[in-house]
Amino acid sequence: MMLLRLITWPYVRRHLLRCTLTTAGIVLGVAVFVGMHSANQSVLFAFNQTVDKIAGETQLQVTAGETGFDEEVLERVQNHPDVEAAVPVIEAAVQTGIAGQGNLLVLGVDMTGDRALRDYDLDSADEAIIDDPLVFIAQPDSILVSRAFLERTGLKLNDAISMKTMQGDKRFVIRGVMKGSGLASAFGGNLAVMDIYSAQMVFGRGRKFDRIDLALRRGIPLEQGRQRLQAALGPGLQVDSPASRGQQFEAMSQVYSLTANVTSLFALFIGLFLIYNTFSIAVNQRRSEIGVLRALGASARQIQHLFLIESAIAGLFGSLAGIVAGVFIARGLAGYLSGMFSEIYGVAQRAEEVSANPGLLSAALVIGVATSLLAGWLPARDAARVDPVKALQKGRIQVLSEGENRIRRYAALAALGAGVVCVMLGHRPAFFYSGYLLSVLATVLMAPALCVWLTRLMRPLLKWARPVEGALAADSLLQAPRRTSATVAALSLSLALVVGLAGVAKASYESIRVWMDQALNPDLFITNSESITERSFRFELSLGEEIARAPGIAEVQPVRTVRIVYQGTPVMLVAADAERLSRRVQMRVVEGDSATMYRRVSQGEGVVLSDNFAQLRKLRSGDAIEIMSPAGAVRTRVLGIVHDYSDQQGTIMMDRAFYARHWNDTSVNVFRVYLEKGASRAAVRDELLRRFGDRTRFFVLTNDDLKAFILKVTDQWFGVSYIQILVAIVVAILGIVNTLTVSIADRRRELGVLQAVGGLRSQIRHTIWLEAASIGVLGLIIGYALGGAQLYYILEITRRDVAGLTLDYRYPIEIASLLVPVIIGAAFVAALGPAESAVRGSLVEALEYE
Amino acid sequence: MSRLLLGVVFLCAPSFSQDARAIVAEVQKRAQTSSQRYEGTLEVSDAKRKVSTKRWVYERLGAAGQAKAVLRFTAPAEVKGVALLIHNHPDRASDQWMWTPAQARDRRIAMQDRRTRFFGTDFTFEDLEERDVDRSTYRMAGEETADGAPCWKIEATPKPEARSQYDRVLLWVRKDIYLFARVESYAKSKLIRRLKYSRMERVQNVWTARELEMHDIERDSRTTLRLEKLEYNVALPADNFTLQALRRES
Repeated sequence: MMLLRLITWPYVRRHLLRCTLTTAGIVLGVAVFVGMHSANQSVLFAFNQTVDKIAGETQLQVTAGETGFDEEVLERVQNHPDVEAAVPVIEAAVQTGIAGQGNLLVLGVDMTGDRALRDYDLDSADEAIIDDPLVFIAQPDSILVSRAFLERTGLKLNDAISMKTMQGDKRFVIRGVMKGSGLASAFGGNLAVMDIYSAQMVFGRGRKFDRIDLALRRGIPLEQGRQRLQAALGPGLQVDSPASRGQQFEAMSQVYSLTANVTSLFALFIGLFLIYNTFSIAVNQRRSEIGVLRALGASARQIQHLFLIESAIAGLFGSLAGIVAGVFIARGLAGYLSGMFSEIYGVAQRAEEVSANPGLLSAALVIGVATSLLAGWLPARDAARVDPVKALQKGRIQVLSEGENRIRRYAALAALGAGVVCVMLGHRPAFFYSGYLLSVLATVLMAPALCVWLTRLMRPLLKWARPVEGALAADSLLQAPRRTSATVAALSLSLALVVGLAGVAKASYESIRVWMDQALNPDLFITNSESITERSFRFELSLGEEIARAPGIAEVQPVRTVRIVYQGTPVMLVAADAERLSRRVQMRVVEGDSATMYRRVSQGEGVVLSDNFAQLRKLRSGDAIEIMSPAGAVRTRVLGIVHDYSDQQGTIMMDRAFYARHWNDTSVNVFRVYLEKGASRAAVRDELLRRFGDRTRFFVLTNDDLKAFILKVTDQWFGVSYIQILVAIVVAILGIVNTLTVSIADRRRELGVLQAVGGLRSQIRHTIWLEAASIGVLGLIIGYALGGAQLYYILEITRRDVAGLTLDYRYPIEIASLLVPVIIGAAFVAALGPAESAVRGSLVEALEYE
Repeated sequence: MSRLLLGVVFLCAPSFSQDARAIVAEVQKRAQTSSQRYEGTLEVSDAKRKVSTKRWVYERLGAAGQAKAVLRFTAPAEVKGVALLIHNHPDRASDQWMWTPAQARDRRIAMQDRRTRFFGTDFTFEDLEERDVDRSTYRMAGEETADGAPCWKIEATPKPEARSQYDRVLLWVRKDIYLFARVESYAKSKLIRRLKYSRMERVQNVWTARELEMHDIERDSRTTLRLEKLEYNVALPADNFTLQALRRES
């Protein structure tokens, strides 16, 4: 403690800016980690909280994905001897049309029995309704809403809310108000309750329920009850606790979680280099101090501990600041993610508060401090090895020894060789991921040597541009390869991340555009929601025939899209008239015979899978596949695999008749409409809206509208990547500022001598600018190379383990080109401050430095 | 529903048996008629003594745990047309369906909902069920007067398979006419509801209480049921007591 107070604290006070910059890497890494994960957790928490509050006393839920199931299942569940109470539920998110209120989560329940599981905690209502569900049930326009919703909207009891339903615009009368922090506060209070049979009509559910909520008889263990009920109902219906809905949502959003992990770890990794670099320089600067301490009796271990404690403290402060910043980031990000998840997965949740999980914050703190300690370990070891005699000799500087350089080069070559071998054996995940880590390690180890080689190559160019300043700048970099290389390594890692992410975005956009042109070629799409991913409402099949009778329409293809659970993961099921679809759509076939597979699918002989579904489940064309329907297991065959980007977890495509037979569901989500030659899209759309717009929920999207929507969702998804790219660039710039700041301070004497022997201030400035630009160029060159490898690995990881999607390798030349002025410009800006501080300081002080 | 109705129609016949179960069986036996029809008025008076009224027409066919019944609401306007179909079973709880004309839908009222109140009244669905005498055990708890009439006081304990919300029910049976005079229902040793029978009249030779008042002790609310235009052994077609008829006639 005394050493910290006497040695460290004065040093920190003298170099406050440098210390701040040093910890900035950790701040940023931890902030990104906390921010992205807290935002994600907040969305999951909001979803789980909604599920919990709606669940009430529910112990188990019977579901069949989004398809729902026939009403008769309710009787089977109610008659099961282990079941105390079982009630049917329909759940859907509906736009209220009230400004600023977003979606209203509507819960359809059977009020005659639902109070066995849920407490409505009615605040006010017609007295009769509070006491008598009969009055509520007998009037199908009845709804209950929360007190919070009323207060936000200014509505009151017996006011009407208009909702666009499958029976056209309908008014619902608020016949009761729920209060309290239970059910009424679910979905941020934007909750309405209506009778289940009204909900069936309003949402076009036919005679189906979405799920059954149930409580077991007293004394029956939950797992035992679950298993027995599952056995009684068969595999087509899932019996799980309400919490499992959260797990399914988590499974859907795992791609985002992985992205958040990669970004934050990468940011921390870059921060590690920043700290390493600053501490290395600090050790050099403070070697005389270390020499004095050693001469006074301090042991090597004490010196090592001193530096390690310093790095731990830097890590601690950096992590704490990062946590605070992360919570602020999460606040901004949670709403964005909430909207994005709703658009992508069609899952209703409403993240209004940021949930700061103590476990996550503790993990961030530990990771931040550990990273800092790891970064400080090598400099601390070097500090401990300082020879006190040499340290006290003024002007002698310890530099990276040739021996150490050689060891690094050999280690780098070994890592590179091992990495290549791993790539060759990359079909095994362990080898593949090892290969990735080894390639990064090889680059990091090779960084000093690469910096020296590349600077030597650049020296003539710099000298040609500025004979004196150019040569000085190059020599400065060559004389301090460790300092330069750590910055360049941090910069290259950042740029590699940028190139990798930009490459994935480019590949994704290109692949999605190609897929949209092939698969989404109808002129119009008729949906029952503003968003194509929202599946709360369903059309009746017969509507398609009426639509087909409108003038200008050549063909109408009904499609049912629905999320089902396949081996515990929610996946997309698309049911369409396969043969008709194949006549209009030519999707890229990965496996199978495109000439026959659609015909066989239309005959109910099997299904076609998206490539990501097949890749993630290791399925091939010809394999048997078992899909669960409410009626039981449907055993069929994979007839082909096609490129499809409908869903991140994969898509099963089957014939609509096959689906209707096994799922007992003929409802439709989307009608694909092809127009006759010469028919105007706008005119047909207007005519369709005129005919059906008031009768039911009826939205007509043109081909361009739909593609724009998909690109908007893609933009939203890559919005997260853009944040990552921004973080990577900020970290890169931070690295340059940091290096130059410490580098200039380190070289005050050298720069003072230059001025003393006649060097002009402008020459000093130009030297530092060129040095900064050179660091930028070195970072760009190595970053581009590493980025190329990084992109390969990200695409492979995406294909193998994340989304199963095969994306073509596309080097992001546009972003790479854009990085040149950005990084060189940032390097120049970063150099301005240090350059001015170098030329404006006292020459005497500079010459006396050290 | 049917037990309530049985309470109305229990026969009066002289019996000097002191066996508690036999007394209850006799009450049930005397109440047996082949069918029943009445117009009922329900008045619910809450703790603040605010009164709401509902009216219905009730028809029953059969008796002794196997009766089928239909109840159709006639007032107030909000619930007019709503109907309830009940199929009683001697060995298990009754099946009940509700018809809502506005939705043109029937719904099954689940067995486990028997604890819930019968549409805003102080009766629960369980209170209204017809119960087989063998679904409880009985013990003579003494003799008392109820509303001035001498009664046997009998303690009934529902058997576990009855899955009753109550753990004990006290019955006061009038000695002179073998009709319930009062029923007190307990859960966890606490009195939950008290049912009082009054306006006892002989209708077509069946002693019947024309007025019943259920008092929910905790809520301090009361529900009074009055039976008008009461008839027994009327000709009712069996197919009136089916789901199809429920849908057809509403």
